[in-house]
Parts: sequence; structure tokens; C-alpha cells
Amino acid sequence: MPTKEIKKFNFTKAYAELEKITTWFERDDVDLEEGMKKLEEGSELVKELKNYLNTVENKIKELKKENF
Amino acid sequence: MLPTLSVSQFLTQINDIIAGEFVIEGEVSQYKISQGKWIFFDLKDKTGCLNCFSTVFMLKQPLEDGMRVRVSGYPKIYEKSGRFSFTVQFVEAIGEGSLQRAFQLLKAKLHGEGLFNLERKRPLPRFPARIGVIASGDSAAWGDFKRIINNRWGGVEILLRHVTVQGDSAIQDIVSAFREFNESAELYDVLVLIRGGGSLEDLAAFNSEEVVRAIYTSRIPVVCGVGHERDESLADLVADVRASTPSNAAERVVPERREFFSELDFIKDRWIDSLSHVVQLLRQDVGQYQQMMFSGLEMRLGRLRDFVRSSEMLFKNIDPKSVLKRGYSITRDEAGQVIKRANQVDKGAKLVIELAAGKLEARTTKPLSPSLPL
Repeated sequence: MPTKEIKKFNFTKAYAELEKITTWFERDDVDLEEGMKKLEEGSELVKELKNYLNTVENKIKELKKENF
Repeated sequence: MLPTLSVSQFLTQINDIIAGEFVIEGEVSQYKISQGKWIFFDLKDKTGCLNCFSTVFMLKQPLEDGMRVRVSGYPKIYEKSGRFSFTVQFVEAIGEGSLQRAFQLLKAKLHGEGLFNLERKRPLPRFPARIGVIASGDSAAWGDFKRIINNRWGGVEILLRHVTVQGDSAIQDIVSAFREFNESAELYDVLVLIRGGGSLEDLAAFNSEEVVRAIYTSRIPVVCGVGHERDESLADLVADVRASTPSNAAERVVPERREFFSELDFIKDRWIDSLSHVVQLLRQDVGQYQQMMFSGLEMRLGRLRDFVRSSEMLFKNIDPKSVLKRGYSITRDEAGQVIKRANQVDKGAKLVIELAAGKLEARTTKPLSPSLPL
């Protein structure tokens, strides 16, 4: 039976983080200083997501009946 | 001398003699379902006619008079009625026309049960981590699927459960694959059932009630991509997402890298826009403060101006010259000292009297009330 592996870079988590930042930026009282910090964090995340998708390959496995 | 048998004994012997499985081909006529459970029909060819019997439970495929079918089952004489009948265990339509009709009948039946209802279609996760694929391992469909997935996205684990997609064992194989994946449903984000195009006969498994129900009951959302766009299978109709081809199935399960990158850039631009907006607001605030400062200063200046003006008036009023104009005069002694008391001057002292216009020189003849206090 296949098991869930923990990858070094968690795509779903990173994307969720990105969405959190977007929600933060959508509020009415955006603080400039904090915003600059979030922008920096977010840009780093964008870079990591792009980098991940550009470098990591899909893993393809053909299951035998006994895998189940 | 032949032994004498009872009717029941005779029928038992006959049934023993004719026992066995047969496959028979013919045309359906007099098809009817009794009490919603029992199926009766005749199987005919040009000269012969065979009574057939089955149950709704055994025959999944609805039939219709005039359809060409191949049935498998066993012959039997029923003891109570003495009626000879062929018990049908499996039926399949033969020939394009009958297959087409069988397809339509099954489609109508399953549609009636709500298996194709749009309300029950489940959405697919946007970023699947693990995809289960049910396909033939050496098919072009599987090759296309892998290629498109690899072109579009990365970091996905794809597990292929090889199945026979055609022939006698196809239905059971596909149904088992769905069961196996669903035994660890929590590990899979989506299941993909794919195969290349083919004739209605080739696609029989994908139009079978068993496979349709396996898709329907799957706890993992199912994407079905069978053949080319013009082929419609019942598996397509019941799946959560119907892809037009195996390649299209790959397009439906993972996003496209470049499109995703553009989306990321767009998101980043929105953050920057939000910050620019904040900067603009701050600039507006500063402008407003400036304005407020200027108007505050303006007000202070106005007040100062008023003060200067009123002071001017005051000064004008207390200017001795303006008092002289009203008839008063200032008296000074020879030294120029202003005389405020009569006893300040002696008799005969010289005085200078300043009037509004000009001065007079005078001499004291007699000081009066010398010690009057001021």
C-alpha cells in the first residue's frame, strides 16, 4: 500500500500561505510597514512555488495487484 | 422391459441429461418483465423458437424485441409446469444496431435512477498530490495521459492500476480496480479511468452497468476519458468529470504550470497595488495635514493682524496730539519738564504752553492751590 511521504517543500501548505497573505492584503487597514514585510515573504513564496514546479518531476508507479 | 418412472423422476432424469452451459445467439421477441422481478422472452431464428427465463437481478441489460443477442445459461424443464425453458445468466447485444439499442435502454434505466444527475458531481481538488489511474498499461491512452501530465505539472504521484479494457474479463477487472483504490480512498485525490476510442463493441465494458455503478459508488472523485470526442460512454456520463479524451483527462486533473505562474504574478501585482494604494492614502493624509497647518497659520496671522489694527486705534486715542486737538494743552517749564502740579513752578517762572497748533510763552503770576494732589 502506498504511504504518504512528507516532502521537503509542501506545495499545498505554501499555496495556503500565499492565500493567507492575499486575504491579509484585501483588508481595509493595511499597514505599510507590515505590508512591505508580507510582500517580501509572499514574493519569496512565489519564487519557491515556481522553482518547485520547474524542478520537481512527477512520480509514476505502476501498481501490481499485490500492492493493494 | 423399461422401468416405469414417476413424472418427477422422468423430469429429473431429463434435466440431468440436458444439463450444461450453452451460449445461444438469436433475436429477442415477446420480451416482458413480470411483477418487476421475472423476465420472459423468446429467442428466435428463421425457423426455431426458444423460451427464455431470467430475473431482473441476473440480467442487468434491459432488452427489447428485435434485438440480436448472445445469451449464456442452461436449459431446464420446470417440474410444476412441465415447461421447457432456457435460464439466461448473461446476455450481450450483438451487432451495431442492437448494441446501440442496448446502450440506449441501459442509459434510460440508469438515468431514471438518477445516476447521471449533475447535482451529485463532485469538484476535483485544484492541486492533487496523488492520482490513481485505471487504464491498460500498454495503451496509447496511458502514454498520452502521462505525457500531458508531465508537460503541465510537477510533484504529483501517479499510480497506475493496469486493467484489461476489452473482452470478457474487462468489466470485472475495472470494477476490482475501483474497489482496490477505494479501500484506501483517503490516499487518493482523484481517480482517472481512461482508454482509447473504439466501436460500441470495444467500449462494452465502459457501457456496462457494473462499471457505471463502480464509478457511481467510488468515494474518490472520478474523471473518465474514453476514446475520441464523438464517443459517449455511460462511464463518461456517471463520472464526476467527463473528459473528451485521455489527454483531456490529464488537462482536467492538473493545472498548467505557465498559467499558474501567471496567476502567481497576478496575485503579487495585487499585493503591490494594495500597498501603492496605502502609500497614496498616506500621501493624501500628509497633504491634508499640510492644508490644516496652513489654515491654522492663516488663522493665527489673521488674529495678529486684528490685534495690530486694534492696537493702532488704541494708540491713536492716547496720542497727546489728538488730545490737544480737543482744546487741552501741555505746559512745560523752561527745562521742558511737563508741569503737573501748581507748586512745581515759582511765581514769575517762564512757561511754554503747547497747543494743538503752535506754542505760547507765558509767565506765572500766582500759583493756585499749590498742594492739590493729582
